[in-house]
Amino acid sequence: MLILLLCGFGLILFRLVTLQVLQAAELTAKADRQHQKSVTFEGARGTITDRHGKVLAMNMEVPSVFGVPTALENPLRIARHLAPVLHIRSDEIEKKLRQDRSFVWVARKVLPEQGRQLEHMSLEGIGVVMEGRRFYPKGPLLSHVLGFAGIDGEGLEGLERHYDTYLHGEKRVTILQRDALGRTVFPKGLAEQTPAPGHALTLTIDEVVQYIAEKELEEAVNRAHAKAGTIIVLDPQSGAILAMAVSPRFDQNAMAALTPDRWRNRALTDTYEPGSTMKVVVAAAALEERLMTPGTMVFGENGRMLVANTTIHDHEKHGWMTFAQMIQKSSNIGAAKTGMILGEQRLYRYLQAFGFGLRTEIDLPGEVGGLLKPPKEWGRRSLASISMGQEIGVTPMQMVIAAATLANGGVMMKPYLVSEIRDQKGHLLKELLPQVKRRVVSAATARTMTTILEGVVTNGTGTKAAIPGYRVAGKTGTAQKIDPRTGTYSATLFVGSFVGYVPADAPRLAMIIVIDEPQGEAWGGTVAAPVFRRVGEQVLNYLGVSPNDQVKIAMAPQGQ
Amino acid sequence: MKTLTILAGLILVFLFVWERVDIVRLGYQIERSKAEKLLLERERDQLQVRFSSLTAPERIAKVATERLGMVQPQQGQVITVHVRLEGVPTAPASPNEVRVARNESPRRLSE
Repeated sequence: MLILLLCGFGLILFRLVTLQVLQAAELTAKADRQHQKSVTFEGARGTITDRHGKVLAMNMEVPSVFGVPTALENPLRIARHLAPVLHIRSDEIEKKLRQDRSFVWVARKVLPEQGRQLEHMSLEGIGVVMEGRRFYPKGPLLSHVLGFAGIDGEGLEGLERHYDTYLHGEKRVTILQRDALGRTVFPKGLAEQTPAPGHALTLTIDEVVQYIAEKELEEAVNRAHAKAGTIIVLDPQSGAILAMAVSPRFDQNAMAALTPDRWRNRALTDTYEPGSTMKVVVAAAALEERLMTPGTMVFGENGRMLVANTTIHDHEKHGWMTFAQMIQKSSNIGAAKTGMILGEQRLYRYLQAFGFGLRTEIDLPGEVGGLLKPPKEWGRRSLASISMGQEIGVTPMQMVIAAATLANGGVMMKPYLVSEIRDQKGHLLKELLPQVKRRVVSAATARTMTTILEGVVTNGTGTKAAIPGYRVAGKTGTAQKIDPRTGTYSATLFVGSFVGYVPADAPRLAMIIVIDEPQGEAWGGTVAAPVFRRVGEQVLNYLGVSPNDQVKIAMAPQGQ
Repeated sequence: MKTLTILAGLILVFLFVWERVDIVRLGYQIERSKAEKLLLERERDQLQVRFSSLTAPERIAKVATERLGMVQPQQGQVITVHVRLEGVPTAPASPNEVRVARNESPRRLSE
């Protein structure tokens, strides 16, 4: 009896030892597999807002649909049920579900409504999980600047890419325990926190200014049947970009069908020969070096001048004119002569000082420095050509910064787009302040140049940029493009541009408009200058900048 | 004395068991609250995205011009009035601005 009892206990003891000691590790692992699951949580990507806190990009949790092919008995039937909800062809879904795997994505990041429908249908072997999806609630607004993020939340273009280290959320693997019903029991260690979301960016962009700029640019591009267009609006005193747009725009919410060509931010990545707008820089250099004054007389050679066995033409025949008139009438011959007086080295030094051939270091990816060869590589005609804006490649960004430098009394500011970085609780992590790059010309030169450029708009080539009630300073530019087939200047392909600032005495806006390959009349003064007027008019109004000839209204003190 | 000890022991045991059970119960409750929080946050985000897309200037301009028949103010129809409040010693960096839009033609002012 006793022996039997001991034998029994011995057996139990033996079994206990095998289970608890010998197979312990293996069994614990097995049990853990059944009631624990490790899940990767990723914090939401940071929000991007404009300068007034309007949301331009934010993350939202949306359902993703997955299938478990190994648990499916009839993939065809399931696929037929899924197709109308997900708007995917049923044979495509079936193909996915027929794979010999334990997990496949059927559709990722679908609409919340679709997820709800699927949960109601509760199909076997089909599940729904929530994933963060990037939304751009304003549609195509600011698309070229914002860029976009990939399906797994990594920044691929534009600001999304440049500031990815700040924007992306923390990734963390957590172990959850489940009970018999599959519900989550609290995680091991209650102190477990959800992964921190990414930081939020505040831009210098103003949503309204951006909208006005995009609207007017698009209209101008359509009216001229042009290939593309670029506009940049900035505050010359700080270098803060208020608006930047490329036409045609694209919608980041529907990227699939687009080629990289469509989302390239041409304002920074593409160079063009600026043509006459370059005369602003050459003239400022000549004024700064005291080689010219606005009243210096220049002979226009009656519209034809020989340089290095080639002829330089003016589109009007000019005789003697003042230096100021030469800029206002945009004389090529006058600009070439000014360049020659400056000389190769000095001209090159000023071009570099104004930022040509160098990146502006704006906080966006993909910027190029443009094309500016050092003088030892220049040909015999180069000095004259560069003075009239040929043989030099610039980005619209470089050109508007050069103009903004004159608007800011000769001091160049670094252009920037992000003003604040905050964590999810709204604490300020980093504040980006305006940065002075260098003084390029004296304040006196900048003032003189502004007066000359005002003349361009009052009685020169840029009259269509005039905004009633405000003093506008600016310069038109029309450049022939190089025909890729012949390698020479094309007679039909042009780039029309206008760069300027307003109000001239205390500039609030500096702006460039570049219209690529307009059809018909292609002058910068015809295709680009009107955009300056229309955008300037609306934006000054929006910013509450009073016209110069404002009516003074006496206000009675309150309570009387 | 003996019964008291047993009673105390039993109470301790019950306390221990109750504590354990309650921890599990609270654990579930925390999870439920977390799930609720998640749903609310999700709803908040959805509303924020919707708010943001509804207030897009492009949409507002479209509604204003196409549905409400509004037009852009013409030159001279907007007057910016700078109001400097007395007694407030240079509080805001930018002066308070009141913008007055007039519907009539600018002629009205000289009358």
